[in-house]
Amino acid sequence: MKNLYIILLISLPFAQQLDPVDMAVEELRTIVEAASRSSQRVFVDDFTGLN
Amino acid sequence: MLDEFPGTLISTEWHSAGYTPGDSDFEECYYYDNFGGCYGARASLYGVGGIPHTEWNGIYDLTGGWANGNWEPAYNYFIGFYNDLIGTETPYEIIINGIKDGSTVNYEITVSMDDDYSVQNQKVEIIVVEDNIMSYWAGANQDHNARNVARYWIGTEDLTINSAGQSQTFSGSFEIDEEAWNSDSVKIISMVQNYGNYEVFQVQEINVNEFDTDQDGVVNNEDNCEADYNPGQEDIDGDGLGDACDLCDNTNIYIPGNVSGDYWYYDTSSLEPTVTIDVFDVLKLSEIIVSGEEESCGYQAGDLTGDGDVNIIDVIALASFIMDGAF
Repeated sequence: MKNLYIILLISLPFAQQLDPVDMAVEELRTIVEAASRSSQRVFVDDFTGLN
Repeated sequence: MLDEFPGTLISTEWHSAGYTPGDSDFEECYYYDNFGGCYGARASLYGVGGIPHTEWNGIYDLTGGWANGNWEPAYNYFIGFYNDLIGTETPYEIIINGIKDGSTVNYEITVSMDDDYSVQNQKVEIIVVEDNIMSYWAGANQDHNARNVARYWIGTEDLTINSAGQSQTFSGSFEIDEEAWNSDSVKIISMVQNYGNYEVFQVQEINVNEFDTDQDGVVNNEDNCEADYNPGQEDIDGDGLGDACDLCDNTNIYIPGNVSGDYWYYDTSSLEPTVTIDVFDVLKLSEIIVSGEEESCGYQAGDLTGDGDVNIIDVIALASFIMDGAF
């Protein structure tokens, strides 16, 4: 039982540390996805003659 | 504006016989098999009643114009349209590739998605255009450099993908009209367009002379192996064919005159081999002609006259060149 308490005590701070890391990874994923998302080019149907 | 925003502003000119200089052939465009049918088919999408008329990504339009073909006042409208549309997020990306073999163009258009979007009414347009055609417009009393004049509207295909990560490829071929078109200026334009509201979601263009078939970063016109991936363009025997696709072995050096393909190293510390063209090449060429080895590597190297045929004239030419010290 004593050992179990020790393990729990050790693991708790590490478990709490995971949250900010996950958030950072998620933010990074969002930034990378946004940056790599296709951006629109412009098409002109020209019935006249545009230069 | 096309020169101002290359790569991000893409256009197609659609001409009817009634609105085109009399000495031009701008209206000569195939819509599928219908000769001269492009203008009518495209104009009917937007309800075009006359010119001037431009449609911007199928969303914005400007109709009417200014006297004497003066486009400068229109620029202020156009730049507003462009700035509003450019760079907005779209789920689609288009890659056009292919290979040009003489006047035949085989193309492959790949539409890919990086986000989900409904497939309803989504179409892919495939259009062949000819760029930079000068013509004189009497009404405006000026010459006009017509850009991306529609020549062949190959078709409108159904887009069937609707999720991120999916892609769909459209392939086909067409013939360049070498008599009527300037083959240096032929492009393929492809776009994703919605046939409910005619909004254009993405567009791409490529000159058919700038395909990079093997996708090694070297366009076909400059690639020593068009269909084999060789970004380094290695060509150990210097015959113009890259090692990756050289039918002749890369051990010997078959350049004009060096019919035997032999070489040696004058400077042993150098990696540059030395080619000697001498009487042995004359003998080898004679042997090739007698035996009819047209498939041999020395055959091409022995075509000194460059007429595609290797015969006694080439033997005489080779001997003359050697005696004259031309090599």
